[in-house]
Formats: sequence, structure tokens, C-alpha cells
Amino acid sequence: MPDIQIPSIDLGVSLQLLIIFGGAMVLLLADLFSGEGNKRIVGYIALLFVVGAAAAGVPYWDAPRSTFNGMLVLDNFALTLNWIFLLSTAITILISLEYLPRQGIERGEYYALLLFALGGMMLLAQGTDLIVLFLGLELLSITLYVLAGFAYPRLSSEEAAMKYLLIGAFAAGFLVFGIALLYGATGTSSLAGIANKLGSGLAADDVAFMLAGAALVIIGFGYKISMAPFHMWTPDVYEGSPTPVAAFMSVGTKGAGFAALARLLLVALGSQYATWGLILAILAAVTMVIGNVSAVAQTNVKRMLAYSSIGHAGYILMGVLSAGSPAAANRGIEGFLFYLLAYSLTNLGAFAVLIALEQRGEAAWSLDDFAGLWHRQPFLAIAMALCMFSLAGVPPTAGFWGKFYVFTAAWEAGLQWLAVVGVITSAIAAFFYLRIIVQMFMRDPVREISPSLDRNLMIGVGLAALGVIVFGISPTPVIDLVQGSVLALSR
Amino acid sequence: MLSDYLPILVIFLVALFIAVFVIVASGVLGPQRPTKRKLMPYESGMEPIGSAQRRFPIKFNLVAMIFILFDIEVIFFFPYALVYKRLGVFGLIEIGLFMLILLLGFIYIWKKGALEWD
Amino acid sequence: MNILIMVIFVVLAAFTLAAGVMVVTVKNIIHAALWLIASFFSVAAMYLLMEAEFIAIVQVLVYVGAISILVLFAIMLTRHVTGEGVRQLYKRWWIALIVAAALFGVLIVPTVFNYEWAVQPSGAQISIASTVEIGTAFMREYLLPFEVASVLLLVALIGAIVIAFEERSTRRRVLTLAEEVEQRRQRNESLRLAPTTHASETSE
Repeated sequence: MPDIQIPSIDLGVSLQLLIIFGGAMVLLLADLFSGEGNKRIVGYIALLFVVGAAAAGVPYWDAPRSTFNGMLVLDNFALTLNWIFLLSTAITILISLEYLPRQGIERGEYYALLLFALGGMMLLAQGTDLIVLFLGLELLSITLYVLAGFAYPRLSSEEAAMKYLLIGAFAAGFLVFGIALLYGATGTSSLAGIANKLGSGLAADDVAFMLAGAALVIIGFGYKISMAPFHMWTPDVYEGSPTPVAAFMSVGTKGAGFAALARLLLVALGSQYATWGLILAILAAVTMVIGNVSAVAQTNVKRMLAYSSIGHAGYILMGVLSAGSPAAANRGIEGFLFYLLAYSLTNLGAFAVLIALEQRGEAAWSLDDFAGLWHRQPFLAIAMALCMFSLAGVPPTAGFWGKFYVFTAAWEAGLQWLAVVGVITSAIAAFFYLRIIVQMFMRDPVREISPSLDRNLMIGVGLAALGVIVFGISPTPVIDLVQGSVLALSR
Repeated sequence: MLSDYLPILVIFLVALFIAVFVIVASGVLGPQRPTKRKLMPYESGMEPIGSAQRRFPIKFNLVAMIFILFDIEVIFFFPYALVYKRLGVFGLIEIGLFMLILLLGFIYIWKKGALEWD
Repeated sequence: MNILIMVIFVVLAAFTLAAGVMVVTVKNIIHAALWLIASFFSVAAMYLLMEAEFIAIVQVLVYVGAISILVLFAIMLTRHVTGEGVRQLYKRWWIALIVAAALFGVLIVPTVFNYEWAVQPSGAQISIASTVEIGTAFMREYLLPFEVASVLLLVALIGAIVIAFEERSTRRRVLTLAEEVEQRRQRNESLRLAPTTHASETSE
């Protein structure tokens, strides 16, 4: 029998992935063979791999290529997303290093799992085939189920893991069913292939399958990005999970889910914008309203951040769906990427401040605990204030530019009403963000809390806050980056 | 092609027939003089204590989970085993990588002590 | 041959459906799990009928062989397996019924009506991916998913250990049957010795 021809593989495309997955496995071994009680070394090695992977991506800027039969690409869009994910993971590792031992849940697997999740996120950014996207999402989800339950003896952590697992499994069911229907309608699982098939026209009954499949896939991703009707799990899961994990989830899952959703909608289903555009616009509006209005009522800051992250999913979705309209194709992607970067930095910073306030066995997350923070820990108070301003979209912070970009994108896409809803909900959101600032600077401490601020946490908070303010004052480098990362659309 | 599986069907039917036949026949033909002792569940001649449906330790569950994962690993080997000659060195590298990754998992559970029963 | 296949199909389909109905209606969840295994098995036979050998073997090895074991162990991990007095019908079951019927109507019915059943497939052999082809596809088109699958399995393995494995020092022991019997005997004895005072529960 003849030998089977093996296609050539361009390992450069998967170089970052290889570093991260390889790194995760090295960490696993490092954990096994390192002594008890001091797993920080595993964390430091993880940081090394993350930085290495970020550097490894540099030569591939502006050199888009694909391999594995077009299942994996490395274009500027994917590269930028990868960098955002790597940055988020690095900050997450920094803020976890001292948190885990303080909570008595330090285990070396934590860092390995973080890197596996990161690999899943990168697969979602780089994948151009439904099967790869599904595998990436499962890799990310399974890791996060475990991480959510990482504070194992604590009941709320177990509850978070359980809820996330059940909802996640449900979402995966939707996704797989949708993928099956899309495959059945078009006969291919590759995004470009689906676009081709749609371009050449489908039979009437295949159109029904295609639409049903697309809807189910969007629902599947909608759970992951906590889009409006599928957002119920978010507050409970974020509240129960260990705080660094909640931070990672709020930026990681969301970013990766949006990355895959953007590629799916714009590359594979770009020609169907007329169908999904309005539906998603309505969902985005509902998401913004629900997230921000519910956040107003929260007195627990961690829960408030969870609700606000739902609201932010609405803003990011606004950018993604605007990109579907020919009038705002580039603007939408730019807005999506800028917003994602700003949101990632800001949210990680805010959660990091929560970590500083969290003592073992007792969480100081109520609004009152923030009272007078300025007098006790000026550094934390300033960082938190910056993050709150950025989340609210006040200039000169990165969050302002992110909002500016997505609102103009929606405007250019002809969705003026959506932009107006966005502005109104931002104004509502400003209320509860500013409330925290008022508490920190103008009130006296209600009870005695000594925040624990170690060096690594300080670096993490500092990095995030610095990014928020620097990208806010001079957004040019980021603008250059996102303008270079516009997704090549097939229409 | 499908006819290859006909013997399995036949065995199935035969097994089904024997099972049904034995149960029905012993019910119809056998004398039935039940006593309390006879109706007790058979536990090697001991007097049964408590209910048979007890809670199991989680160890069993863990072993079952590990079993599933390696079971799925083996599933991936089947199609490879049919074509390994034609795939040559490249296939060997790929399947080697696949195995290596799972071998790491094996080392991990071994070192953690999850394979020790007590 | 064709009529035989038809008969087998109808029997299998009926059995699968019946087993599925039993899974959701039986009160004892161990029995439900056993019915589930039965339905897994007949689905495997259906795959075989469609000449999807590999899928059929996977179905038997993974679902019938492994998943069902896990399901049974998971059930036995919990209390109250007999499920007496458990409500099985959700209060708003009719909503689920409507949704399911609507999905069925949208997805299945148009196909049934549009498909030209009368037209026989043309004489050309319909190609069915054999196991050999799946093997080559794993190494060529689907190389990336193949390798990622191993990573996914590894992560699942780690997850299982992190979640379910307790270090020996922190393990909560489940009593063996002998210990349980001994405990019960002692409890009975203490009851007999001091019938007036409240029998102090022997500490576990």
C-alpha cells in the first residue's frame, strides 16, 4: 500500500501555543518534583513561559499564515488577542502568587491549569475551524470548572464550580448541536468553507438548518461571554470562585469567547449580517441594561463587579456586531480589540484590589470596607479609583477610549439607537463606580481592616493601573496595534 | 460488510432466548414452597446486614474517571493501528506525542498517589 | 437482506425509545442508569446498522463500558438512591413539551417532507468513512484536533485529581461494612444498658 502523503506543517503558526502547552506540562512536572509548601517557584516559571510566548509572537506580526489545513491561523487579529490574553494571564499569576498561600489553597496545579486555560483561549483566537473552536472552548471551560472549585473546602467555591459546570455543559450541548447543524447544512466545518458555501447559495431547507445551527452556536458562545439571557450564572460563579480565578474568568473567558464569536460571525456568517445583526444588537442592548441596572443594587463589590462585567459584555458585543456592517467593518474590530484590552487591564486591577482586602476566612468586599481606604492604603485607593474611572469610561483612562471606539462603531454601522443605549447605561454605571470612589476618599473607615499588600500583588495592581492611565493619556500605540489587526473579512 | 456482524446478532438472540427460557421454565416447572429463610438474599450463607445499597467511597468514582480517560485514549489508537505502516515515521511521531502527553498525566496521577488504594 | 435490516432497525429504534422513556420514568435511579445503558447499547447497534463501525465500537467501549460505570458509581456516592417520594414531573412540563415539539417541527419535519424518499441512491457506491480513513484523517486533516484532544484528556485527568482526590492525611473515611456493623452493635448495646437516658450517639 502506498505511503500517505503528509502535509507540511508550519510550526511557527502554533509556536505560541506550543510554548504555552509545553510550559503547562513542564509546570506539572515542576509541581510534582518541587517541595511542599513553596509552590511560588512554579508560578515564577509560569510567568517565564508567558513572557516567552509573548516574545515569540513578535516576528509574526504582519506575516499572516495558516497551517494544519487551514485550521489554525496567525494573523494580526489573532496575534493581538494572544497578547491581550498573555498579559491578562501574567497579571493573574502575579496576583495569585501570595493569595493562594494566604488562603491555604496553594497547589502547583493551579499554574499549570492557568496555562492550559490560556492555551485554550489562544486556540479560540487562532482557530478557523469549528472543531478547533469547540476543542479550545472545552479546554478553557474544563480548566475553569476546576479552578472555580479550587478553594475546595469552602462551600461557596464548590457551589461556584458546580453551577459553572452544569451551565457550561448545557452551553456545550448547544454549541455542539449548532456545529452539527452548520456542518450538515454546508458540508464543511471550516469557517472559510462555510463562507464559500453560503456565497454560492444554499438549498432552501439547508438555509433553515444553517440558521438554526448559527443560532445555537451563538447561544453556546453567549453563555461563555454572559450575554443577556444567558448571564444568570455569572454573579454566583464569580462570587464563589477564588478571587484571582474570578478575575481571570471575567477577562479570559469573555475575551476568548468574543474572539471566536467575532471570527465565526464575521468570517463564516458575514454574508448573513442582515439576519443576525439586529438580533445581536437587541441582545447587546438588553445585556448592557441588565448588567448595569442590576449592579446598582449591589453592596457586595465582588458581585457588583460581576454584574458590571455582564454590562461590559454588552459593550464589547456592540463592537463585534458593528463590524458585521460594511460601513463599520474596521471600526468595529478596532473597537472590540481596544475595549477588550482596556477592560482586561481594568477588571484585573479592580479584582486585584479586592484580593488585597481579602483576609483568610473573611472577605472584606462590602462597600463599607472600602470606606477610608485612601487614609490607610493610598496606593490601593488610587489604583482602584483609576480602575473605577476606566470602567465608567471617564477620560483620560483606557476605558474611555474603548467606549469611544465601540460607540462610534455602532453609530457608523447605522445603529444609532444602540449607541444611545450604550451612553445611557454608561451613565447609570457611573453611579456605582463613583460610589466606591466616594467611599474610599471621603468617608472614614467603618471597621478595622488591614489590607495585605505584598510585592507581587503590588506589581500586578501597578501594571494594571499603569496600563489604564498610560493607554488613556496616549492611546496611540494601542490604536496603531488595533488598526493593524483588522480581520480580513470575506464578504 | 454488515453480514460480518450477523453472528453477534445470532449470539444475542440465543443469549436472550436462554435467559428468558431459564427464568420462565424454572418459574413454571419448579415446585414453589417459599419460606422466609429461602427468600432472604444470598450472601454466602451469612445473615445479610443492612441494605445492599450503601454509599460508596469517592475512590471508586476517581478510578472510574481515570479509566474513562485512558479508555478514550485507547479509542484514538484504534484507527491509527490500522494505518500505522502507511503513515511511517511521521505517524509514529504524532502518536508518540499523543502518548507522551497522556503519559505525563499517568506520571502525574501515579506521583500524586491516586493509584494507591489506601 | 433489506427487509431484515428494516426489521432490525424498527426493533432497535423501538427499543431505544422505550429504554429512553424508562430512564426518565423509573423511580429508582439505579434502574434508570441500567436502562440508560440499554439504550446506549441499542444506539451502538444502530450505528452498526448504518455501517459506522468505528463509532459503534466507540459507543460500546466508552458509553456502555466506561460512562455507565461512572454513572453508577456517581449514583452510589449519593444517598437516597431509591427515589421514593421524588417528584418526577416538573411543574411546567408543558413548556418543555412545547419547546421540544417546536424544535422537532422546525428541524425534522421539513426534512422529512422535502427529502425525496422514493429516489434510490444512484448506482455509485456511497462512500462511508471506514476506520482506515478515519485513521488517515487523524494524521492529516485533523492532526491539530487530534493532538489537542490529548491535551484535553490530560487536563481532564488533572481536574479529576484536583477535585476528587484527597490526600491521605485529609481524607474523610467512609466506614467499611464491618465497622458499621460494629458501631451499630455498640449503639444497640448502649441503648439496652441505658434505656432511660438518651442514647449518646457513638461518635463516628
